[in-house]
Amino acid sequence: MDSNLGYAGGAPKARLPLLQRIGTQRVVRFLFGSAATISTLVIVLMLVFLGIYAFPAIRFNGLGILTQSVWNIGDQYGSGHVVRAGITAMQGAQFGGLVFVFGTVVTAFVAMLFAVPLSLLVAVALVYRVPPRLRPLVNAVVELMAGVPSVVYGLWGIVVLVPFIGQRLGPWTTEHLGFLPFLGGPAGSGNGLLASSVLLSLMAMPFMVATIRDVILAQEKSIFEASMALGSTSWQAVTKAVMPSVTNGIFAAVLVALGRALGETMAVLMVCGGAVGIFAQNIFQSVNTIAAVIVSQLESALTDPTGLAQKSLAELALMLFVITLFVNIVARLILHGADRSGEA
Amino acid sequence: MTTSIAPSATHTKLDIRALNVYYGAFQAIQNASLAVPDHCVMALIGPSGCGKSTFLRALNRMHDLQPGTRVEGKVLLDGSDIYAPGIDAVAIRHRIGMVFQRPNPFPKSIFDNVAYGPRLHGTQDKKTLMEIAERSLRSAALWDEVKDRMDKSALTLSGGQQQRLCIARCLAVDPEVVLMDEPASALDPIATSKIEDLIDGLKDKYTVVIVTHSMQQAARISDFTAFFLMGELVELSTTSEIFTKPKDKRTEDYITGRYG
Repeated sequence: MDSNLGYAGGAPKARLPLLQRIGTQRVVRFLFGSAATISTLVIVLMLVFLGIYAFPAIRFNGLGILTQSVWNIGDQYGSGHVVRAGITAMQGAQFGGLVFVFGTVVTAFVAMLFAVPLSLLVAVALVYRVPPRLRPLVNAVVELMAGVPSVVYGLWGIVVLVPFIGQRLGPWTTEHLGFLPFLGGPAGSGNGLLASSVLLSLMAMPFMVATIRDVILAQEKSIFEASMALGSTSWQAVTKAVMPSVTNGIFAAVLVALGRALGETMAVLMVCGGAVGIFAQNIFQSVNTIAAVIVSQLESALTDPTGLAQKSLAELALMLFVITLFVNIVARLILHGADRSGEA
Repeated sequence: MTTSIAPSATHTKLDIRALNVYYGAFQAIQNASLAVPDHCVMALIGPSGCGKSTFLRALNRMHDLQPGTRVEGKVLLDGSDIYAPGIDAVAIRHRIGMVFQRPNPFPKSIFDNVAYGPRLHGTQDKKTLMEIAERSLRSAALWDEVKDRMDKSALTLSGGQQQRLCIARCLAVDPEVVLMDEPASALDPIATSKIEDLIDGLKDKYTVVIVTHSMQQAARISDFTAFFLMGELVELSTTSEIFTKPKDKRTEDYITGRYG
């Protein structure tokens, strides 16, 4: 009897599957916990690595990376050196990043000027105006737009957009609307600020449309109905009730899209005109962004025997990283706040 | 069975004739006719899915907002059909207000919630809006609780307060009929009794049609009760009659608790 009981109580426990003995809960918690930790750790390590690698450049350049606009890796064939803050660079070297910071911010900002109103319109139309039968089709198109590689956007930019701007839009605008700010002066080749911003806005739109559509759908129905039941038109319901209730979500979506536009490389590189040491005077002229200049200047920077040119590019990369990280964190905080107020 | 029962009363506010509602191919309301007298509370009861909410939403053309929904028949408001060609649904909803099952205040201040409707319809004067807000909030038995924090977000209110705010918001546009779709089903008993008390006070100025799944609630607050079952209006009578001597066997089964 005793041994029987012992058998019944002990043996099945020993035969439990491994997972069950450790406890599924603990396994799952470990897996997800380590995944979350690793992804955070990767970001921190990238920051630390970039910081250490770029440190000599940070000391050499000082604030000049933000205030000066001349980018010159110095005389690579001479034997002259310049030493500043204990760091050696080639004679004549100067790493001013202002043109690139300017280009990064302005292209992304102008892109948002195009993309935000358009995305709002498309998202609202998707929720309210597109017949239910057509919705899957439009949604699929939006998602496909998001899946197109940026180099394809860039190629379209080179083949279609740049010639159009350079040969038609630019000359016409500068001639007829040149009295307006940022529209006068030489129109350039078509490579430049406008082409970059148009591509960036096209690339930002799918994400913004999808996100704005989702925040509207998450909040919309009861708010929309409440307004309609008070005798509003559907336009009033959308503009006066639904939209004000989702401004946080929309703002966050715009910031996330902005973060991506700031860092977008390939398409911009292909149509920005590659400005070095010069600022665009109107929306048609050449610009350059941090991301684009890192790619386009990397090869010549690698010839710098002091290594400071590469490290200065790394410093630019670090700046871009910090800017986009900041924009994204702010966006997440706003979105989180929006979720909470939505629950209340 | 086509029941057209007009409870004996002086004036018929809403006269619904042969109403059919379809969701696509599914017929949710079958040939329902009933009349709602002026200045009374009519309760619509029945088990879940019986069509009582669908019926209610046909009374201020909310189904217009749902593609694929079709309404047939007539809904006469003071004798004229709200579904007649050329009638503006927006104007109809101004006259027939609605309070929903879940409190759905706008994420704006308490004042802006109540002022929303009047502003839509052209009142911009702050003083007038304040008067309307006070009057509406008093009618909704909320004024004393919020008068000192009109500029606070409506989302800071409790669920029961939010629902009374939604009632005040509805009253602020001065409707003639107030439709309520289970307005207390998401609330606790104390909040529920406050809502019930205020509904009784609404009769003087408004005609109220209220959907409820609670027979006790229907018995407590309504003058007339209509019983729906599977899209059919089974029986309509004065509330006391329907709960004491129902004519239809199915009504009797329901009120004695035989349909969950």
